[in-house]
Amino acid sequence: MAASKKSGGPRDMLESMYSVIALFFILVACVELCDAAAVVDVYRLIQYDMSGSPFGSRFASLNHHAASLHFPPGADLSRTVLIIPLRELNITFVREYIFQKKPLGGLLFLLPEVFSFENGGNKQIHEKEKMKNVLAELEQLLIHANIPYPVYFAFENDEIETVLADIKKNDAIGQPATATTGGYKLVIPAPEPKKVASPTITNIQGWLSGLKADGEANQLPTIAIVASYDTFGAAPALSVGTDSNGSGIVALLEIARLFSLLYSNPKTRGRYNLLFGLTSGGPYNYNGTQKWLRSFDQRLRESIDYAICLNSIGSWDNELWIHVSKPPENAYVKQIFEGFSNVAEELDLKVGLKHKKINISNPRVAWEHEQFSRLRVTAATLSELSVAPDILEGTGGLFDSRQFVNETAIIRGVKLVAESLARHIYGHQGKNVQIFAGDSSLAVNPAYVRSWLDLLSRTPRVAPFLSKNDPFVTALKKELADHTDEVNVQHENLEGMFTFYDSTSVRLNIYQVASVTFDLLLLLVLGSYLIVLFSFLVITTRGLDDLISLFRRPPSRKVKTA
Amino acid sequence: MTVFHFFNCAILTFGPHAVYYSATPLSEYDTLGTSVKAALVYLGTALVKLVCLATFLKVSENDGFDPYQELLKALIGFIDVAGLYFALTQLYHRNISQNHKFQAVGLGWAFADSVLHRLAPLWVGARGLEFTWDYILQGLEANANLVLSISLAALGSLMWLRKNKPKTLIPIIYACAGIVATMPSITSYLRRGLGWHFPKVVGFELFTSLVMAFISWQLFSACQRPSA
Repeated sequence: MAASKKSGGPRDMLESMYSVIALFFILVACVELCDAAAVVDVYRLIQYDMSGSPFGSRFASLNHHAASLHFPPGADLSRTVLIIPLRELNITFVREYIFQKKPLGGLLFLLPEVFSFENGGNKQIHEKEKMKNVLAELEQLLIHANIPYPVYFAFENDEIETVLADIKKNDAIGQPATATTGGYKLVIPAPEPKKVASPTITNIQGWLSGLKADGEANQLPTIAIVASYDTFGAAPALSVGTDSNGSGIVALLEIARLFSLLYSNPKTRGRYNLLFGLTSGGPYNYNGTQKWLRSFDQRLRESIDYAICLNSIGSWDNELWIHVSKPPENAYVKQIFEGFSNVAEELDLKVGLKHKKINISNPRVAWEHEQFSRLRVTAATLSELSVAPDILEGTGGLFDSRQFVNETAIIRGVKLVAESLARHIYGHQGKNVQIFAGDSSLAVNPAYVRSWLDLLSRTPRVAPFLSKNDPFVTALKKELADHTDEVNVQHENLEGMFTFYDSTSVRLNIYQVASVTFDLLLLLVLGSYLIVLFSFLVITTRGLDDLISLFRRPPSRKVKTA
Repeated sequence: MTVFHFFNCAILTFGPHAVYYSATPLSEYDTLGTSVKAALVYLGTALVKLVCLATFLKVSENDGFDPYQELLKALIGFIDVAGLYFALTQLYHRNISQNHKFQAVGLGWAFADSVLHRLAPLWVGARGLEFTWDYILQGLEANANLVLSISLAALGSLMWLRKNKPKTLIPIIYACAGIVATMPSITSYLRRGLGWHFPKVVGFELFTSLVMAFISWQLFSACQRPSA
């Protein structure tokens, strides 16, 4: 027993030694700890292909020196990242750089904190409108350009401010940061962006059945209320689209809630079915709406009396527009418009009618109602915008944040739509009856509107990055299920013109680096220090002769051998 | 570039030890064994200190200067002195003169101190991209520590190994030894109590180490004269 214990002893010790050595090597290997001067969350410019042409920023990883806008003219910026705060943005400068394809290491735009949905909600800044316009213009420029270097957005905070001030000081002296002069280095260790495989769009529909009299064989007529819920913007991780189309979603949910209250009692249930649709794929020519409509069977589609699409009703003052594709002389259009105008007069606001013909051969679908019209269903879009937006414009970009949306506007919009629909359903057109009166149990609930608006203004909703089981989609489904009889979810693939790439939100490390000349200088200083120390010690302990003898070979030996 | 910086700081921290060994007659008399033994004694002393600190000290939340804790730390610091005593007197050294013995012990002691306290932070920190002056300052501190250790070893050998000392110098010797032994507490007081920044503290250490070295050199040569 003692012998085996003895032989086991050294072996055990050896094993424990191996494990210690292994641990040591592991520790040594993973010492690339992040000890940067600053670590910032940054959001990448969107990268997508439209009909095969590449757009957006094509790269994600970054490892270059930083410079500010005050760089000395004529400096080589092909390995430099320009940090541009929005306040100092000169749009012509950026346009020039992008269109003339000047080489650049990268771009980092600093947005004022007020646009952040996490902290900046209540801050006031000067010239909010001007900054909003600048940001909108920048966004349009970046989305439609093909940029062969990384472009990132970040929010200003104290750390970045100090770093930027330092960089500006260095640039002012005329010393842009390169490998030999030190400065700041921006490092983002992101892998190559990959295509998002088969992006899905999810359409959610809620059905509220009307009152069918006994013995009635025919299908009841249906009224559809539709809003698209996804967004598209320059930075997909920041595209919350509070107005486009968060306001529409909130309005739809509130209308659903009001009508579910009415329809819950058979005595007040109308003789119209109500179909609520939350569609996706809005920015991509309302692809989702088209697929949703195609999935209906013929009878249902024919039973739709008309559809009202809601698009951006969050920041208007006194005027809303109803956009139609059928000519205004059409009886149905007239009916809808009159209904809305009557209610609008009572609510002290104006409603205008805009007609835009559809061109079947043109794939561009500017309004959601056009998808209905292409399938011969009467439809109209209610919006604060008077002109149809261009492709990928007005789809909820960086500037579309909470402070620019007015919940009173949404409440008035809800009142307008709900009253008009209710008067049509219950046959009270033209009569001065307030169904959703201000102090009744059917009043529009401002708290509901506000809480959903706040949630929407914090949730980026770019469709390719919303998975099938995304919690937000599930939340919408649940909310609609609360207010309707039956909810259906349709998952489709976003096919066609668009391909998207991932890597939308990463962390930027800012390192303060010393230049190579500094290290060489230090080496020189240390070398001379050690040599001086050596000579000093030799002289004091052994004498000066010993020092000299170290350098001179003894000549006597040579003579002796000869 | 960053491994370059690590290399620079490593030269600054460990180079003087190697230079000291090769420049002085220590290398001629092959006193490497003594230095290695002294380094091992330092290791043992450090472990004992660690255990004592863990047992008796409580961790303070703020970074202020707590007199009682610092007193306790100073008392535990005297274990260092005990370790040095052990290394100077109890270990078997080959027939080397006293002059070289204290130098070898001091060198081994300082080298072990530098390796234990400064190698790991250097390896982990100096290789990153971020540049700070800390590691260069740490290297300067290691230099000051070398000088201090050699002075302490000299004073220690005077106290314990030399039998015939001039009577008047004895209290001075003990006083200087006390100052050098409590140097860690003094620097910690400067850093925490007075709030000095690292560069200032390192400057102070360098200055005092040179002063102490000069004083102990004078003492040593003064004590050497009667026997010579």
